[in-house]
Amino acid sequence: MALLEVRNLRTTFKTEDGTITAVNGLSFSLDAGQTLGIVGESGSGKSVTSLSIMRLIDRPGRIESGEIFFEGRDLLKLRDEEMRHVRGHRIAMIFQDPMTSLNPVLTIGEQIAEVVRLHLGRNRREARDTAIEMLRKVRIPSPEKRVDDYPHQFSGGMRQRAMIAMALSCNPQLLIADEPTTALDVTIQAQVLELMNELQRETGAAIILITHDLGVVAETCKDVLVMYGGNMAEYGDAKQIFNDPKMPYTQGLLASLPRLDAPANARLKPIPGQPPNLHRMPPGCAFAPRCTYRLEQCDKPVPVTDLGGGHLARCWRCTEALVPVGAAQ
Amino acid sequence: MTDEPLLEVTDLKKYFPVNAGVFGRHVADVKAVDGVSFSVRKGETLGLVGESGSGKTTIGRMVLKLLPATSGTIRFEGRDISDISARQTRALRRRMQIIFQDPYGSLNPRMTIGEIVSEPLAIHGIAKGKARMERTVELLRLVGLQSSHLNRYPNEFSGGQRQRVGIARALAVEPQFIVCDEPVSALDVSIQAQVLNLLEDLRERLGLTYLFISHDLSVVRHISTRVAVLYLGKIFEIADRGSLYEHPLHPYTQALLAAIPVPDPALQGTQKRVLLSGDVPTAIAPPSGCRFHPRCPFAFDRCSVDEPAMREVGVGHSVACHAVENGTIR
Repeated sequence: MALLEVRNLRTTFKTEDGTITAVNGLSFSLDAGQTLGIVGESGSGKSVTSLSIMRLIDRPGRIESGEIFFEGRDLLKLRDEEMRHVRGHRIAMIFQDPMTSLNPVLTIGEQIAEVVRLHLGRNRREARDTAIEMLRKVRIPSPEKRVDDYPHQFSGGMRQRAMIAMALSCNPQLLIADEPTTALDVTIQAQVLELMNELQRETGAAIILITHDLGVVAETCKDVLVMYGGNMAEYGDAKQIFNDPKMPYTQGLLASLPRLDAPANARLKPIPGQPPNLHRMPPGCAFAPRCTYRLEQCDKPVPVTDLGGGHLARCWRCTEALVPVGAAQ
Repeated sequence: MTDEPLLEVTDLKKYFPVNAGVFGRHVADVKAVDGVSFSVRKGETLGLVGESGSGKTTIGRMVLKLLPATSGTIRFEGRDISDISARQTRALRRRMQIIFQDPYGSLNPRMTIGEIVSEPLAIHGIAKGKARMERTVELLRLVGLQSSHLNRYPNEFSGGQRQRVGIARALAVEPQFIVCDEPVSALDVSIQAQVLNLLEDLRERLGLTYLFISHDLSVVRHISTRVAVLYLGKIFEIADRGSLYEHPLHPYTQALLAAIPVPDPALQGTQKRVLLSGDVPTAIAPPSGCRFHPRCPFAFDRCSVDEPAMREVGVGHSVACHAVENGTIR
């Protein structure tokens, strides 16, 4: 049985200009110990998906419908109190900006200890020891001293490592990392990704890594969910997505990247047009207005096609051999 | 492309004072830029890459006279512009312009697109009335927008479209030289390519010269003809694009290139990756000698004592590194 199964998730937000649907009928699942990358651009619904799983959607947002099965229970049916026990304990989350997710007036140690005391019922001294142990695990030098530091005394990379320490302190089954390295420099990003990979091997936690960086996904994830306009565009393992993408959006995204392994003066092949405006979503495939392969039926809701081997694509033409979108230019 | 340098920067420094105590005593300096020299030839794009705190944005601001330099000289079109008056600076802005990173923060939300793009024309008295309107429409077309956008406001536009507005505004005065400060970093991947292609087309059509500032080595490789790598306010390596990416010599350049995740799962595990340990030190008290030595896998005794000077190691390829100088890295 899958550790996490999201079925038909629909999350909306009320705005002054009407209700927008940020996630529109998304379904996917994740097995224990696996790493799933969710990639998408701004407005694709990737962050709202993770906040929905954590049930951290506040008004004016609302989870309209769907089911989120985690360890066999539908999280959307849990009482708030039960959900509080899942959050931070069974499912932990780390965010893009460690400075705003850490409390500036508490020491790093106090913040980790708080989680451990709350969820695991440890006493003060044990909790402090756990905090030191966790900081050591994420390679903070001299953790028995740094445990009493405040967040501002840590560098950006160290803060993100402290967040990882906090997230993993209760041995969660699932870690959701929302753009965990986006605010970090590239040499520090490499350290943090390496650390996450190692800790996963050690703890066996499943990871959902949300990012806009395709390189990061290729380096860390076994499976990839590509989102566009609030729903799945394509799903598959990393090889299927990166080497044999079937949905024109995925193809176009990969073709538009300046890559270090491409000839330096090759012209980039952008995807034409603009990302969809959530207030004026196309009636059918969200990508249709930018797609070179658009057919008439693309203006009606498009079902997911199972291409075999776990590879899914939401596109009428995903079984044809298409020339990547940008290449036509 | 000619060999005549359009911009020549020599030993440029910017120290920001750190004050402390009741009387605001000057206790230290943040050495944001600490003796940087480079030149940009007409028609080329010099990429400035570095991580946060490397001083790349500060250099761009000083070149444009948006920020006074602590010391050093800046020559533009053969003229020393280090100490020019405010009036001369204003005239200079017709020759050099800037495109900012944040297309949300750099456009006045209360002005229409037409007002934003035509404002430089008014300030510099370039065109009036109908001519100004025509020129504004022409500028919008040049960057891929339409005349129907004239009366709309920035909030009606996506990030990529806003960045086009920023580019049109910079081009309004027909500059020779543009500082592009992380112009695509805030944009979605599928939109980045559109804007990069636009910048390249404009360079070709209008004969522009760019100083392209970015933390993204893939983007810099794509758009630059030459690249300078910065670390804590110093240039470590400068070379033609080809040499820098194919034959990087400075250990920091090598580590930076190795740290970039490649979007190809087939390559995973095949590359050997030099993981840099430690964090970037503070620019208030940079390490002695070579400021990279505490993180450098090649560091030896001399590196913590002597600061390496830039030395030419090939045609147009200069490196500041003792390990390169003594032949450990070649």
